[in-house]
Amino acid sequence: MAANMYRVGDCVYFETSSTSPYQIRRIEELNKTTSGNVEAKVMCFYRRRDLPNPLIQLADKHQMAQSEDSPVAMKLKKICLKTPVGEEQAAQAVLDPALAAMEEESTELPGTDGLAPKQRHQAKHRELFLSRHVETLPATHIRGKCTVTLLNETESLLSYLNKDDAFFYCLVFDPSQKTLLADKGEIRVGSRYQTEVTNLLKEGEEDPRNSEQLETLVWTPSHGLSDRQIDQFLVVSRSVGTFARALDCSSSVKQPSLHMSAAAASRDITLFHAMDTLHKSGYSIEAALSSLVPASGPVLCRDEMEEWSASEANLFEEALNKYGKDFTDIRQDFLPWKTLKNLVEYYYMWKTTDRYVQQKRVKAVEAESKLKQVYIPNYNKPNPALIASSGTVGGGAAGAGAAAGAAKAAAVLNGGTNGTAACNNQQICASCQVSNSNHWYTWGPQHLQYRLCGSCWQYWKKYGGLKTAGVFGESEVEASKGPREGEEGALSVSHRPHRCTVLNCAKEFKLRAHLARHVATAHGCGEGGARPVMKTRAAFYLRASPFTRLARRLTRALRRPRHYARSPFSPINLAQVKHECSIAMAGLGGAELRAAGAGGGGVARARGPVGAVAARLASARGSPVAGGRAHEWLQLTPKDRLPVPAHVAFPKPPKAPDGSLMYERVLSRAELEARRAEAAPAPSLKRRAYDDINGLDNMSAGCGAGVALGAAAGAAEAGLAPPPAKRPNKHPAPMQRPSREQFAAMCAKAQATGQPLPPHVFAHVNGKPTNISGRGGRRHVISWMDAPDDLYFRATENAKAARRTLSCGELRRGARAPWRAMRGGISGAHGGVGAGGMGGASAKGGVGGAGGAPLQLVILD
Amino acid sequence: MAMQPHSKKRVCYYYDSDIGNYYYGQGHPMKPHRIRMTHNLLLNYGLYRKMEIYRPHKATADEMTKFHSDDYIRFLRSIRPDNMSEYNKQMQRFNVGEDCPVFDGLYEFCQLSAGGSVAAAVKLNKQASEICINWGGGLHHAKKSEASGFCYVNDIVLGILELLKYHQRVLYIDIDVHHGDGVEEAFYTTDRVMTVSFHKYGEYFPGTGDLRDIGAGKGKYYAVNIPLRDGMDDESYESIFVPIISKVMETFQPSAVVLQCGADSLTGDRLGCFNLTVRGHGRCVELVKRFGLPFLLVGGGGYTIRNVSRCWTYETSVALGVEIANELPYNDYFEYFGPDFKLHISPSNMSNQNTPEYLEKIKNRLFENLRMLPHAPGVQVQAIPEDAVNDESEDEDKVDKDERLPQSEKDKRITGDGELSDSEDEGEGGRRDNRSYRNNPQPRKRPRLDKDPAQPKDDIKNEDSKDEVKNLSGVEEPKKELPPNP
Ligand SMILES: [Zn+2]
Ligand SMILES: [Zn+2]
Ligand SMILES: [Zn+2]
Repeated sequence: MAANMYRVGDCVYFETSSTSPYQIRRIEELNKTTSGNVEAKVMCFYRRRDLPNPLIQLADKHQMAQSEDSPVAMKLKKICLKTPVGEEQAAQAVLDPALAAMEEESTELPGTDGLAPKQRHQAKHRELFLSRHVETLPATHIRGKCTVTLLNETESLLSYLNKDDAFFYCLVFDPSQKTLLADKGEIRVGSRYQTEVTNLLKEGEEDPRNSEQLETLVWTPSHGLSDRQIDQFLVVSRSVGTFARALDCSSSVKQPSLHMSAAAASRDITLFHAMDTLHKSGYSIEAALSSLVPASGPVLCRDEMEEWSASEANLFEEALNKYGKDFTDIRQDFLPWKTLKNLVEYYYMWKTTDRYVQQKRVKAVEAESKLKQVYIPNYNKPNPALIASSGTVGGGAAGAGAAAGAAKAAAVLNGGTNGTAACNNQQICASCQVSNSNHWYTWGPQHLQYRLCGSCWQYWKKYGGLKTAGVFGESEVEASKGPREGEEGALSVSHRPHRCTVLNCAKEFKLRAHLARHVATAHGCGEGGARPVMKTRAAFYLRASPFTRLARRLTRALRRPRHYARSPFSPINLAQVKHECSIAMAGLGGAELRAAGAGGGGVARARGPVGAVAARLASARGSPVAGGRAHEWLQLTPKDRLPVPAHVAFPKPPKAPDGSLMYERVLSRAELEARRAEAAPAPSLKRRAYDDINGLDNMSAGCGAGVALGAAAGAAEAGLAPPPAKRPNKHPAPMQRPSREQFAAMCAKAQATGQPLPPHVFAHVNGKPTNISGRGGRRHVISWMDAPDDLYFRATENAKAARRTLSCGELRRGARAPWRAMRGGISGAHGGVGAGGMGGASAKGGVGGAGGAPLQLVILD
Repeated sequence: MAMQPHSKKRVCYYYDSDIGNYYYGQGHPMKPHRIRMTHNLLLNYGLYRKMEIYRPHKATADEMTKFHSDDYIRFLRSIRPDNMSEYNKQMQRFNVGEDCPVFDGLYEFCQLSAGGSVAAAVKLNKQASEICINWGGGLHHAKKSEASGFCYVNDIVLGILELLKYHQRVLYIDIDVHHGDGVEEAFYTTDRVMTVSFHKYGEYFPGTGDLRDIGAGKGKYYAVNIPLRDGMDDESYESIFVPIISKVMETFQPSAVVLQCGADSLTGDRLGCFNLTVRGHGRCVELVKRFGLPFLLVGGGGYTIRNVSRCWTYETSVALGVEIANELPYNDYFEYFGPDFKLHISPSNMSNQNTPEYLEKIKNRLFENLRMLPHAPGVQVQAIPEDAVNDESEDEDKVDKDERLPQSEKDKRITGDGELSDSEDEGEGGRRDNRSYRNNPQPRKRPRLDKDPAQPKDDIKNEDSKDEVKNLSGVEEPKKELPPNP
């Protein structure tokens, strides 16, 4: 039971692809989504196989340096400790002759002394690289716990090998910068850091220190009073306080009952005062008593709690709601007659009141979505790579997946299966070479038709390698890595460098992330040049093929477009659609089909030149047109007679050899996705993660619904990545630069939620924890995925009624352009129409704009 | 009832009633209010009346620049929330702004915190007290010219500097979950202060405190770092704390101890990752107290404030040697302690990543380092003054053999007030500490062995004299290296 409870802070295996090794993550947060699923915000650990080659070599050498104290080792240590080491530097460092020599002098990893070669090979599988990269994954993908600890030099690697699921790390990997560094601070040495040490006083030397100047005695235990006497005096002083309240007009209003007065007189301030009085009276009860009741009347001690009037208290609560705990602002705008200290003292006392407790209860309900732990049962579904004895698993998994997307995914997952059936016999485990096993799994590139025995498969999933360093082992790892890197390479080559847009800077960067970092650090802002490009996750749209459109028109099953638009998740009977389609189409010729399909306007209607249209309109309104020809001014000026401006503000871009204009490329969503995924390993694997949300490898159900509107199918056809589960950036760009007010709103929001503004994202330097307030500076590690939950629009009766007043055309227009204002009076409904109209896309993306709120605010949220 | 002057420790407690009203800012985890909460608990537990309570002075810039650089203190004195914009550059330079914000009364706050620790140190120097407590102090991250980790002025360093006037060797122990980097750095190159820090290490603020960081120059081997992993529980903590501290006492032989009681090592701390209970945390205070040295207790981290005040209240009771009820007394902030309203807290079920093997290895490595220490460093040969000899009997009750620490717990309970009875530790007498002054009519007698009229610079170690000194002081090579590990 406890083994399946996963807590925040645990290190766990995550399965994001059925065929590749688990990913190792540490749970930072567990959040319950509105749909009831649990999402885990996790910090990534990388395996060796996820690192670029030069960095791996550097990591090896760093390890060596740990165990040695040769000058060369020191040099390498310094390289790693002081600054993050990038790929190029790593490559250079590896080539450094001195370091190369070191490698020769000791080819063994440290701590591996006395390890067999096989153990040394396996030790590499236990090394991880910490990163500050955070992502969000569905908790159902958790596949067990593991431990990841910082390797201590006193430990031998064997102690990790001897334990299951035990990993270590030494270095920190920054996936976006592709750098490594040691996670280690430094105690600096020099007169600027150390203190001058005081000398011992010499014999007879006077210490200038005098306690009387350093402190004031407020209480001493060496007095003649017994505990009982002190207690009695405390009771007396409380009684005096109660009586004083009875005499005091303002108090008797506030405390109408004797009980309340007594309670007020029992607060700590009265007791402290009593103790002070005792001390000042030289611990004489008599003297103390008389000073409790001076001639002016009984002493009344009131703290802030009592001092404040009801209206002040109300003001304070109002101010807290408005400003949060910014007491300076509260004082300025609400309670200028109080001091800051008054406010702070009052605040901490106010927290003990019922009113606060009630507020807290509300907050507690809100915070319920944040979980401390989650129970994930063992995952028992067979892995698709499992070779079934019958060899027909593939069909089963693909099963209902008539949907295009699912079919494709299934094909990938089951690709190997068909092949193995043929050469099922006399195959051995690619790792340990046994030929007997209860379960076999296909493994490696499909054409090689490798298979692993059950235990080697487990090993592969957990440790990301094969038990033995064979020909198979290393070559496969390289092979599976190769294409991925190639892919990334191709992408980055095809892009122009990113240029800083800040005036007089214009530095160029290979990666957008670098630019962002530069802007943040050099120019101290996250706005402007480095404005995030990504939109909310709804940024895919359905481009219906003529065929889809045709199907929509022809089949009765799809006759309720409004209904389906509003509930994109409800499945549509595809078989029926196909069936009806084929029947309906059987009776139609090609031209008719085209006509039926084009009805929606796939091809632009030929309306003729604008002049002709104008003429047509004019005649329709009854105004005569001379000779059936348009007015002079309606005639288009021939191109060669167009006036030439003296100054071209926006010159055309240069022409490519083929005559097309070379505009600066705008990144497509797919490219952005790939870009971003560069930072994380195995982008293709990630993608699948969203498909088999909740651990389902079989996604036919979800896709069925998607296909109903063609959404998923369309996306899959267009080769787009399905949307990430969360908005990729928590500070998405507003449509324009935010106005002053909007910016202020953002600031207020950020403050209210305790989240830093964009520039702070980059505040961690060199990946070292520079910050105490988050564990290990994690406060600065902002999740790319960390966006608020989605909104959806729930149409009220009013909204529905308003919607019904719209014409079909208006509805469609609204759906297509949800940001546009609609006819007066129904703006409230508008958002809903938008959401509904956008179907699968917007429902997932959650652009609801409940109650027709301005779209920009929705985004800022 | 008044305390018998010799049956219990004389405890001085430093507190300014203003301290709780300094406010780091919205959302900042550091809340000086926790010190006030502690104070109110102390009053209502009846511990207040058993101590000398002092309001500390505000430390002057002059006092602070004993350690800090002049321009840094000048900066702290002049910066205010309303003139921050004029100080942009300096704020960066001194690392003031984000973790260490500029808040209203910042300088005063530093003055009170530092004033308390300095006054406490002077108090100990004057032998006017045996244990001094300043929960407002313990800001161990502050550097010479740099604020860090919510700390601006390092009251600990200032206090230790004061102690060094009278004490040849001062031991600093840090049980905050964070590394005590500010103190360690300040004394990194001296052999007169040994800094021992138990802390979470690895991807954690402030990033220092590796096992291999052992000090530099003359201070080599005088910095002791115990890097720990998530989930330290009471048992593991004691299993490493007891042997290390005993060994340190034995080899370093300090004549005064400063213990930083950062309560962020408690279970459930907002920023911490250990799993200590109030009892486990307080156990450290108890163990250190047993050595009977002049003892300065300071606060530190601690960000789940209800637990911080529980912890420091309990530790005050430990210092006083008084048992207090688990039921919390009613006080102004009683509601903070719901739903159970108890003093003690339970550990969570988080897993402890510190395996016994790991702790054992760390311990052994540190023992190796400690073995490199010359016994009784920085001590010169000289004749023992006559008056020193009388104190042998007195000496006995301060000495404590490491192995005995866990067991002597029972005895302590029997004697009732945390004072070791004379029957303990026989045979181990003659630990050379400077407690001899206790019975001395001269109030400001300094440790006899630490004086060298011939040599004004006392911290120069005389290698040749090592053996002699050992014999003189009656310290023998320890027979058992490793105390049994519970
Ligand atoms: Zn095998
Ligand atoms: Zn720039
Ligand atoms: Zn701390």
